Amino acid sequence: MSVTGLGPVSARRRRIDQAMRGLLLAGTVIALIPLVLIIYYLLLKGLGQWTGSFFSSDPTGSFFGSPGGIRSAIFGSLEIVGLGMVIAIPIGIGVALYLTEYGRESWFGNLVRYFVDVMTGVPSIMFGLFIYIVLVLGHVGGAFTGWKASVALALLMLPIVVRSAEVVLLLVPSSLREAALALGAPRWRVVTRVVLPTALPGLVTGSLLAVARGMGETAPLLFTTAGALALTGNLGAQMNALPLQIYNDILSPRTALQNRAWGAALTLVAIVLIVNILARAVSRRSRMA
Amino acid sequence: MIPPETTSKEPIEMSTGGGPPEQAEAAPDVAALGVREGPGHSIKVRNLHAYYGSQHAIKGIDLDFPANQVTAIIGPSGCGKSTMVRCINRMHEEIPGARAEGSITLDEVDVYATGVDVTSVRRLIGMVFQKPNPFPTMSIFDNVAAGLRLTGTRSDNLRERVHKSLRAVGLWGEVKSRLTEPGIGLSGGQQQRLCIARTIAVEPEVILMDEPCSALDPVATLKVEELIDELKERYTIVIVTHNMQQAARVADTTVFMLDGQVIEHAPTNDVFTRPKDERTERYVTGKFG
Amino acid sequence: MQETRHQFREALKDLERQTLEGLDMVTQQLDRALEAVSYQDVELASMVVGDDDRIDGRYLEVHQGVLSLLARQAPVAGDLRIVAALLHMIRCVERMGDQCVNIAKLVPLSGYEAPKDKGILDSIERMGTLARSQVTQAREAFSARNVELAQDLVRQDAEINQLNREIFRRAVEVGDDADVREWAMFMILVARCLERVGDNTVDIAEQVVFVVTGLFRELDGTQSPTRGGDGVVGLPG
Repeated sequence: MSVTGLGPVSARRRRIDQAMRGLLLAGTVIALIPLVLIIYYLLLKGLGQWTGSFFSSDPTGSFFGSPGGIRSAIFGSLEIVGLGMVIAIPIGIGVALYLTEYGRESWFGNLVRYFVDVMTGVPSIMFGLFIYIVLVLGHVGGAFTGWKASVALALLMLPIVVRSAEVVLLLVPSSLREAALALGAPRWRVVTRVVLPTALPGLVTGSLLAVARGMGETAPLLFTTAGALALTGNLGAQMNALPLQIYNDILSPRTALQNRAWGAALTLVAIVLIVNILARAVSRRSRMA
Repeated sequence: MIPPETTSKEPIEMSTGGGPPEQAEAAPDVAALGVREGPGHSIKVRNLHAYYGSQHAIKGIDLDFPANQVTAIIGPSGCGKSTMVRCINRMHEEIPGARAEGSITLDEVDVYATGVDVTSVRRLIGMVFQKPNPFPTMSIFDNVAAGLRLTGTRSDNLRERVHKSLRAVGLWGEVKSRLTEPGIGLSGGQQQRLCIARTIAVEPEVILMDEPCSALDPVATLKVEELIDELKERYTIVIVTHNMQQAARVADTTVFMLDGQVIEHAPTNDVFTRPKDERTERYVTGKFG
Repeated sequence: MQETRHQFREALKDLERQTLEGLDMVTQQLDRALEAVSYQDVELASMVVGDDDRIDGRYLEVHQGVLSLLARQAPVAGDLRIVAALLHMIRCVERMGDQCVNIAKLVPLSGYEAPKDKGILDSIERMGTLARSQVTQAREAFSARNVELAQDLVRQDAEINQLNREIFRRAVEVGDDADVREWAMFMILVARCLERVGDNTVDIAEQVVFVVTGLFRELDGTQSPTRGGDGVVGLPG
């Protein structure tokens, strides 16, 4: 009887294995090329713009002379997205809590879930248009204002927050809820003292990712806060924002402005990158039983 | 008649779970909880029916659980023992679509009467689960105190109550130097005893245990059984177990269930030396189940 | 499909078989001892003495088997009662074996001439027959878990006790011949051994009742074999 089973790998199998590996590698490289090119171009054209005055002065708006920096755009973005966060995150987590704690099987819960899913697919320009029609044209509290941009962004961020929060909340083991209920805790205390603290790292991560998304959206800003140039803390007035600044500058015939657009684009990417890294760091530190 | 506190110093042994080595293990000292007031508390179940949607899981059960005794519920998988026990502290109704009918009285008060606050039922009837479930975001101290905090019990001597509970379950020696460390850093057996400490910190009258040792190694199991034997001085205990040897070791009375009904209910000695019902005989001798 | 705990069931059946075979060995020994007494056969008697080693060996086997089963299989309920009963019974087997040896040892001592009193000899033979039938009946009762058969042993035992007293009385009145008197003394001792054998079978009968009902009752002559009464309640099923 011959000993079977422990022979060497056949040459044909080895060839197929290498061919598959080569194919996968090629695909990966092809997919990476545009990404690498983007980053390369950004760095190439934008890094040179990063000077002190770039960050410390506002765009002047004048056709001749110094174009100025992008300070107001940076602060404007932060303010607008900041307010958007304040609106979207609590509401989003609230909706997610409803879905996981009370609405897991109900028809209403399923309906809400369906609509949230639909909303994630809505193009961002629709949110801008919606706010434009309802708030801007209706002259509710002024014409173009920063806070209306925040509302538009909040609408955009909301479904992302709800989706990610729901996933995280569902990951909280039901045994923890059971333990808290069995101790005699009322439902709302179970949620605030046990479920939310346990899910917190995941919720933070999800929210930060929504923020990163919101920072980069241009379309909603176009219809709601036609960018002003001066640095302002007043969300009730027109405000600048990075995507708006980039949009305007790129279309301009002045090369100085176009270059500034690259610098602004690099800044925007850097901010989004930082937010993403933060989100990762928080989620890595989290520890769920 | 209060036994003196015994502390046996044992050499540092390899832990059996994921926790650090155990030091200065103490025997459970339930007397640390103070003098018990009044007579014990009994539970009477009358004509209990329980459903999961349309599935009739418990089909008319009458049972008595005498005060300060350990009653074990045994039976094959799916016979309804966990369901029945969860009806006692009204945890059964937390499952969507589940409901229970009948009367369960704790010392003459029907926990299913209209207008009864379900959280106070659960405070008086505590529960320990199969898989130890300490709250992951809380320290050892906070875990034991959780019951008091979650039920909104204002307590001046919180620290004292926590320490007494830890002493009562025999964990004090092992954790007194690390009360602020996370609860999930303990070994499996220690975690389960922590959960028991958490349950008794709210001073219940009855303790329900749903297969409390299933997830523990044999040494930890014996420690928990020893604890149960001590605890019955003070509480009425109902334990669901699929381990017949455990029921034989630990229980004063044993109940055998099959298909949602009680088949036999007798002193443990009788059930295991001369059961009256043929089905009980066949189950305990391992002819089925 | 194999029944659950197949190995355990087989082991338990084996243990029971070994114990009942012990009873068969006793029957054999008893037959030979009684023959040795009737015919003053010293050689047969010494064979009985030698063969007791087999019964002792069987006792050790069953004892070990019981310990092993208890340690490894943790029997409960009906199974536990059987195991406890088997341990008790194999001790009875060993004791009955010893009684046969005692009878056999009395044979060379009682003289090489033919026995002297026919009445006493008849009674001894009658006792022997009864004792033998008690042993086989006890075996049958346990094997079939037959409570009535077990309780009937009490009745037979009453008869053996009666014969024992008769033989004693007769021996006292046996007459002046010193040889005959001496032989009669030895016959009293033989009768006593046979009476002990009878008592052991009643012990076994008690175990039968215990295994079947879960209750342990001393069976003495005052209980009638047919009364259901307070001793025999709670039959499973």
